[in-house]
Amino acid sequence: MIRPVLVRRDRVLPATQSFGFVVGILVALVLGAILLWVSGNSPAEVYERMFDSAFVGTDSLSRTLERTTPLALTGLSVAVAGSMGLWNIGAEGQMMAGATVATGVAMMADGLSGPALIAVMLASGVAGGMLLMLGPALARSHLGVSEIITTLMLVYVAIRVVEWLQVGPWKDPGSLGFPRIEEVPGQASLPGLFGRVNIGALIALGLLIVFSLAVSRTAWGYELRLAGSSPDTARYAGVSLRRKVLTALLLSGGIAGLAGTIQLTGAEVRLTPGLSNGFGFSGIIVAALALMRPSGVAVVAFVFGAVQVGGQSIQTLGVSSAISDILQAMILFGALVAAVFFNYRIRWTGPLGESSGEEIEQLEPAVEEPDV
Amino acid sequence: MSEAAIVGLFVATVQFGTLVFLAALGELIAERAGVLNLGVEGMMTMGAVSGFMVGLETGSPWAAFIAAAAVGALVGGLHALVSVVLGADQVVSGLALTIGGLGLAAYVGRNVVGERPETKFTDLGIVGLADIPWFGDIFFNQPPVVYVAVLLGLAVWFVLTRTRWGLALRAVGESAPTTDAVGHSVMALRSGAVMVGGAFAGAGGAFLSLYMAPGWTEGMVAGRGWIAVALVIFGAWRPGRLALGALLFGFTLALQPRLQSFDIEFLGVDVNRISPALLGILPFVLTVVVLVIISWRFRHRPSPAPAALGLPYRREER
Repeated sequence: MIRPVLVRRDRVLPATQSFGFVVGILVALVLGAILLWVSGNSPAEVYERMFDSAFVGTDSLSRTLERTTPLALTGLSVAVAGSMGLWNIGAEGQMMAGATVATGVAMMADGLSGPALIAVMLASGVAGGMLLMLGPALARSHLGVSEIITTLMLVYVAIRVVEWLQVGPWKDPGSLGFPRIEEVPGQASLPGLFGRVNIGALIALGLLIVFSLAVSRTAWGYELRLAGSSPDTARYAGVSLRRKVLTALLLSGGIAGLAGTIQLTGAEVRLTPGLSNGFGFSGIIVAALALMRPSGVAVVAFVFGAVQVGGQSIQTLGVSSAISDILQAMILFGALVAAVFFNYRIRWTGPLGESSGEEIEQLEPAVEEPDV
Repeated sequence: MSEAAIVGLFVATVQFGTLVFLAALGELIAERAGVLNLGVEGMMTMGAVSGFMVGLETGSPWAAFIAAAAVGALVGGLHALVSVVLGADQVVSGLALTIGGLGLAAYVGRNVVGERPETKFTDLGIVGLADIPWFGDIFFNQPPVVYVAVLLGLAVWFVLTRTRWGLALRAVGESAPTTDAVGHSVMALRSGAVMVGGAFAGAGGAFLSLYMAPGWTEGMVAGRGWIAVALVIFGAWRPGRLALGALLFGFTLALQPRLQSFDIEFLGVDVNRISPALLGILPFVLTVVVLVIISWRFRHRPSPAPAALGLPYRREER
């Protein structure tokens, strides 16, 4: 019997990284088209509407960028932890925690002028995100508790705390019994740039650049990556793993908290249990597709922003916006599979011992390519 | 607190316990074979929606239950293909499975939101035992899925510890190269384990949408798939302990909606004045606390986790 096996390529195909993402998009578009066609919609019509509403015209672009901002920040949040092999899958909850603390601070300090209040709220948002991350970070650094499950569990905690706040202590007395929290003071809203885009987009871009340089160009970033890829070497070189884990996770939580606060003072007007809106979860896919590189996060976040805006727009065609979630996951699956075939090729081989000719070639000393 | 309320609490404990036990048992099988599957939430949600839809169509809860298991196995099969056969990162693949599963379920079920099923599982009074006061209702007058779960738990324990299959499965979770060298197919064992695990999770989802909360709404699994993943750690990868853990978590899940109706004081706080939203954080906080305690207890001992958990295997790179 002849069967296929995966063999590591002698040379990794060039331009693999960005290419995996492109292949992922193509795979997702094809599978999505099949799904749409099976459920009786015209894929061409749906895709055209998605494209137009995400890219064509200033208003469309501003909508896409409006969504790119939180996606870039949550993507960066996941990527900072990911650059040392940790998984923050609770950015959704840290967004809520950040927005909650920022709302609380705004309630106490609403006498401040606009810029001062904004600065205080953004800082307290970062602190809020870090606060929710503190438990999982300490549990991971000191006891080795999987941060995957603990960060995720706290998402449900954070959302329920906001639900409680809006029916309980923070219920707006002027809401006529409707359970909702008071709007943040008007002077706290982030100054706009154009259309729906506010300076939150610039903050996100700035942070992406800072972290991109910090992770790839500084000793701190090198130690971070080293601690993730080979902990023993890092320890031998005098790097404190505990401190690195704590720093990476707390920074990750803080960035997500900032994302929540920017949503609060930019796109929204008040804290609601739906504020995080799935951005934290999409951020995981964004970071994974960007291979945990802050520079890649910007590109992927933009594409995902477009997919989400497109997903909203097709509801008028009677198509569920869930399509955009499916597309996002399919892009990731496609890219995962593509990445395998960039590093491996299929060889058809016979049963044990019966070589298919190529075996001889294998006898020569194979040079191991570094894993990408 | 009335007698009926207490019995009701424990009846619900067994049912919620069954829900997380089914999913966790599936995850246990996959993890014992060395495959971490973080897609449990997605597989359960797909099971919930497909089970509910088949139930609506056929009117048969059993057909729905089996269909949900089949769908769960299929969704798990995607994880097996990507992470076992192709050897991609298990964490990324599992997370994509959860996110994609939730999206696909929302899409597939968009037209049945709010519909009420005509049939659901009826409670199975076991003759002679169901009439025992208290215990009869709690243990012997439950829907059949509860007993199916108990039988599945026993079966998994038996297969894992008493059969050659189970030995091979556990071996591949400890060391894939060794198992390969002995002549077992690593891919078949691991893919099989992931798909069976998916079937269990899908069946759990159907129990939710057909009995516990009949109907379909987006996000109805509400984190219980993730609790199942944590439960496997709590159960130290053993079916018996898993069952105990499931009852503990089942108790917290059952307690939350009922706590308000109980007139009890806890640490000087009148429980029924706490908001239900705040009580809703109980199972999730408990999960974190339990994980911390377990790691604390194992801090000087080797972890009970399968040694090859999360590691892909390619024969050519042995």
